[in-house]
Amino acid sequence: MTKTVRRQLAFVIDLNKCIGCQSCTIACKRLWTNKPSMDAVYWINVESVPSEGYPRGWASRGGGFRNGRLAPGREPTAEEYGLPFELDYSRRLFTGKHGRSRPRPVPGWAPNWEEEQGQGLYPNSYFFYLPRMCNHCDNPACAVACDVGAIRKRPEDGLVLLDIDRCDGKRSCVAACPYAKAFFDPTTGKANKCHGCFPRLEKGLAPACAGQCTGRAIHVGFLDDRTSSVYRLVCEWNVGLPLMDSFGTLPNVFYIPPFLGPALEASNGQASTNPRISPRYLESLFGPKVHSVLARLQEERTKRQTNQPSELMEILIGREAHTLLGGFRASE
Amino acid sequence: METEDRRKFLKGMAVAVTAPVLSGGVPLRTLVADSTPKKQTPEYPGWQDLVRRSCEWDRRTRGAHLVGCTGGCPHWVYSRGGVVLRDEPSGDLPVLDGLPNPNPRGCAKGSCGIDYMYGPYRVKYPLIRAGERGEGRWRRASWDEALHLIASRIVDTIAQHGPDTISVFSPMPSVAPVSYAGGHRFAHLIGAHTHTFFDWYGDHAAGQTQTLGVQGDVAETADWSNAQLIILWGANPVQTRIPDCHYLTEAALNGTRIVTITPDYSSSAAKSDLWLHPRPGTDAALALALAWVIVTEGRYNTAFVAEQTDLPLLIRNDTNRFLREADLAENGAENRFFVYDEKTAGPVPVRGCWADHPGDGLAEGSFYFGRNTLNFPDGILDLHDVQPALSGQFRVRLKDGSSVSVSPVFELLRSHLADYTPGKVSGVTGIPAATLISLARELAETHPATIITGAGINHWYHSDILFRALHLLMALTGNTGQHGGGVNHYVGQWKPTASAGINALSFPHGLGKHRFAQTTIWTYVHAEAKDGMDKTDVPRYLRESLDNGHMPLYPRGGRSPRIFICYRGNYLNQSKGQGDVLHRLWPKLDLIVNLNIRMDTTALYSDVVLPSAHWYEKTDLNFTEEHSCIHMTEPAVAPMFEARSDWQIFLSLAQKVEQIAKERNLQSWQDDEFGWHREFDRLYAEMTDNGRLTDDEDAAQFILDRAPETAGITIDMLRREGPQRLHSNWTSPMEQGVPYTPFRYFTHNKKPWPTLTGRQQFYLDHPVFLELGQGLPSYRPPLDLDRFPLRFNTPHSRHAVHSTFKDNDMMLRLQRGGPVLEMSPVDGRARGLSDNDWIELWNDHGRIVCRVKLRRGEPAGRVTMHHAPELYQDLIQGGSQSVCPIRITPTHLVGDYGHLVFHPNYYGPGGSQRDVRVDVRRYTGPIPTGL
Repeated sequence: MTKTVRRQLAFVIDLNKCIGCQSCTIACKRLWTNKPSMDAVYWINVESVPSEGYPRGWASRGGGFRNGRLAPGREPTAEEYGLPFELDYSRRLFTGKHGRSRPRPVPGWAPNWEEEQGQGLYPNSYFFYLPRMCNHCDNPACAVACDVGAIRKRPEDGLVLLDIDRCDGKRSCVAACPYAKAFFDPTTGKANKCHGCFPRLEKGLAPACAGQCTGRAIHVGFLDDRTSSVYRLVCEWNVGLPLMDSFGTLPNVFYIPPFLGPALEASNGQASTNPRISPRYLESLFGPKVHSVLARLQEERTKRQTNQPSELMEILIGREAHTLLGGFRASE
Repeated sequence: METEDRRKFLKGMAVAVTAPVLSGGVPLRTLVADSTPKKQTPEYPGWQDLVRRSCEWDRRTRGAHLVGCTGGCPHWVYSRGGVVLRDEPSGDLPVLDGLPNPNPRGCAKGSCGIDYMYGPYRVKYPLIRAGERGEGRWRRASWDEALHLIASRIVDTIAQHGPDTISVFSPMPSVAPVSYAGGHRFAHLIGAHTHTFFDWYGDHAAGQTQTLGVQGDVAETADWSNAQLIILWGANPVQTRIPDCHYLTEAALNGTRIVTITPDYSSSAAKSDLWLHPRPGTDAALALALAWVIVTEGRYNTAFVAEQTDLPLLIRNDTNRFLREADLAENGAENRFFVYDEKTAGPVPVRGCWADHPGDGLAEGSFYFGRNTLNFPDGILDLHDVQPALSGQFRVRLKDGSSVSVSPVFELLRSHLADYTPGKVSGVTGIPAATLISLARELAETHPATIITGAGINHWYHSDILFRALHLLMALTGNTGQHGGGVNHYVGQWKPTASAGINALSFPHGLGKHRFAQTTIWTYVHAEAKDGMDKTDVPRYLRESLDNGHMPLYPRGGRSPRIFICYRGNYLNQSKGQGDVLHRLWPKLDLIVNLNIRMDTTALYSDVVLPSAHWYEKTDLNFTEEHSCIHMTEPAVAPMFEARSDWQIFLSLAQKVEQIAKERNLQSWQDDEFGWHREFDRLYAEMTDNGRLTDDEDAAQFILDRAPETAGITIDMLRREGPQRLHSNWTSPMEQGVPYTPFRYFTHNKKPWPTLTGRQQFYLDHPVFLELGQGLPSYRPPLDLDRFPLRFNTPHSRHAVHSTFKDNDMMLRLQRGGPVLEMSPVDGRARGLSDNDWIELWNDHGRIVCRVKLRRGEPAGRVTMHHAPELYQDLIQGGSQSVCPIRITPTHLVGDYGHLVFHPNYYGPGGSQRDVRVDVRRYTGPIPTGL
């Protein structure tokens, strides 16, 4: 599939700069999935990890490829997406109905349910934020799984687009995507997924998630654009890592793993030199390369702490908005 | 087409009322319903065009979110067919030299603000209460009927009880100065009293006023980039300074060390190099231990300390008071102070103290400073040849011929700090002594260093002590006034930079002719608050402060307020002592009026609710202290339903009051307090400045024109060119391309600080401070008057701006649907609780029933509830404020000591809510089905 693509748009999400504010989540939601039948759908979401994430337990429901073939996957249930709360304010506030406006259904799960719960025991607990979106994969399981060819990789930017008109609503893409980022809308009988904000790209605007990322944590750009920070981070510095690449879909969303944060506290109450976030956990997300990437990031930051220049840190800081956004503008 | 779209849309709104399913995102739903071609299967590009069309607009306008938020985030607002569909950061904040781009500036909440236009919370028409207060039964009224009702009651109340029994509450001029000015101008002209809020909300750092003589000033957040060391002390910018937080992570990537001091493993601790978790409320001890290390090891900046602080000033060892000129000479000034000059071996007076005035004139009064010292010439603080002693005991001869022993404050400080050795403080805070020592050394060696702080520590009862200690650290290390340095306290967005303009519009006859109530005292007295402090000296201190006129109380003479008009603030919901307010203050009020875009808790418990225009339906300005630009909001659509802007509502209310006053023969009223003959038959003319201010935009321009910070900026510039950098600022000059850092007029231009001593003042020799052992800042443990095992912590939240957005469906879906109590799994287990159980939380002041969330970062012994959920939300009982009493700190009541005087929001008792203790157990009562 890669061969048909002339250019590939890619994202790099810096988990050190992500502050879990959900600006990307809401920016996307209000633009694309803001209707009742899609209330449970988040094309991009931010989950606090380690956790079961959104949809609940997404990472262990199969999908993707095994030995070059589609691996069986299970479509998430409505409960795993989280049944969206509805609140009846108007009766309470304007008609004198007694009681409190209670969310329905009774809260038991939601897309950000485990916010900052993390793992470990105080004072050595840990968590970090993990934004997740469609990876616009080189080898998209959703597209491979679609019998009617409704999902294609657009040649001009490599976005994985779902043609609503061709979609026959069989939901094989929903089961096939190992990241659970293909969705189904029962009212239209069609699947839906992130389309990379292609109408914005065409206007020279960054996708809404990146454009409204107030933490300036999302880099976007073309992988062959040597001036973009995406290119430099992924291709030059090799510090961008795909999420769970063992699924075999070859993602185009890359992550700068979290290296900022306090070390574990020793039993005498003083800081140790051991990392707080479990290295094994990080490896489960980003593969064995994560250790050398973390070391490299740390090394480059140390340069700044000793007043030496660091090109890598400069790229991550991204002083100029246009390099961070690969030449796209943030807003209209 | 436009009207048709709008009609269809409004039709959709009608459905939304009966079918709240639609509450989240009406706009796109409508579009999909309107424009999806059905039954056809167009070619591949067809669906793409459909997607393209759904993000095309026919109108783009300027927008700001006029809520109690410090963000100040300039936005574009996009609408089509008269329906606002989307907003996004406008991305045109100017970039400062070499610093990270300030854009985009926004957050998830702001993007949900549109729901307050179209959602089920919207107040659409004037409403008159038809049931009990709080019941939510209303009768729709015409504007004329509602205004007639309010105006008649106002006129009758003035005639029977005097205008000072009318109370108008509206906080934070900075976020919407025109709206703010509407009610204040109205109150000013009729003689009503208005309210302070910064102190009442617990946001005002009284310790900063005590030390610096300023109401509070901070660096714009871009200045974080300049710091080499950032200490986040009781601040959680990752959650509560969302649009600024990139400066923090970018500074970290750039090599800046980040240290977080907070009891829980917070969102910001997770981004830091070092996390210290002192026992809650022991921060002042921690700060003083750092000071001990810096002083004992001689790591302080002697030149800065000698020139900029009172630490070299001499204290009489017999009285513990400053050595004053009046001690030394007949006709000597009471407020002139001395250092001991080592060169001449004798006392030398310092320049710029309270007794000194610039040139021949007098130092002017100021609203935001102890006094205005900016008109002193530069260089006053310069020591020239004087070499002040920092240690030693000396004898000086008094005017009566006797001699006394005197020592510099620094000498006193040195022995005072002996109580705060790292060893001792380790026992208090739980932090290892070695960690305290190494942090102190790092702080002393790293320049510049800044302490970013906020509500986490400022909401303690003894917060002033802590802030004095933090300022002490920054002064000892010479960081105050340095780019990338100093204490930066980002709580509340109070700083209305163009204050001269805002005041001119709000208080046309001058601040001296306005009744300002100090809201903490006002609420405490009128709600007959129960604080559990009857056996302490606090009632005496309060009585003395009121009797001596050091703090104001309206109405005077033991009378009660009669009419309460509240807008742009959720007074009742946010009230500490909420039960007292509801049960004892509310019944005293004959009429409660609320102006609102939404039915919040205060509106719900009001008698008349007037529909106010949403931020995207009116023109107003927006300031913040987090960046140095002013920007604006303007109507994307005309006010929906029957809404009107706050400015217009108060104009029409003035018109109605004038009409009824004439009808009832109350043409004027002699106000003896100010010697002001109030002419109610000219009220509307005065309100509009004879017709010059009938339009919101004219009022906005009026503000811009009258403040030096904004003079020359026009509304049209803000609209066309975007946010404009301020021309000047409060305590430092504005420099091209350089972030604003406060206090440089004092530290660099060497003008005197606006304090009694003209210096950063760490020693306060007022009798109240000396009685309480607070001459120098001394650690006091949390109050702990409530005999319950758990500390109750009520911080700000990522997902709401105080109560605004608390009720937003889209935000609630990213939480747990309603308010929760966060608890350590250890405490949860001890009480047999599982995640998401219903719990009850109580103390002697109230009770809350809500759900529990077990969070691993929460320390055992403390529970946390993000503050101020609305009282109609998913709790079975109460709200966060139900268990928080109003408690008054005596040192905040001082009003007769140089820079320690009452000015609204400058000095007065704050609202503390950290010292509350509670217990928690599983809730076993019935779980009502609710709505």
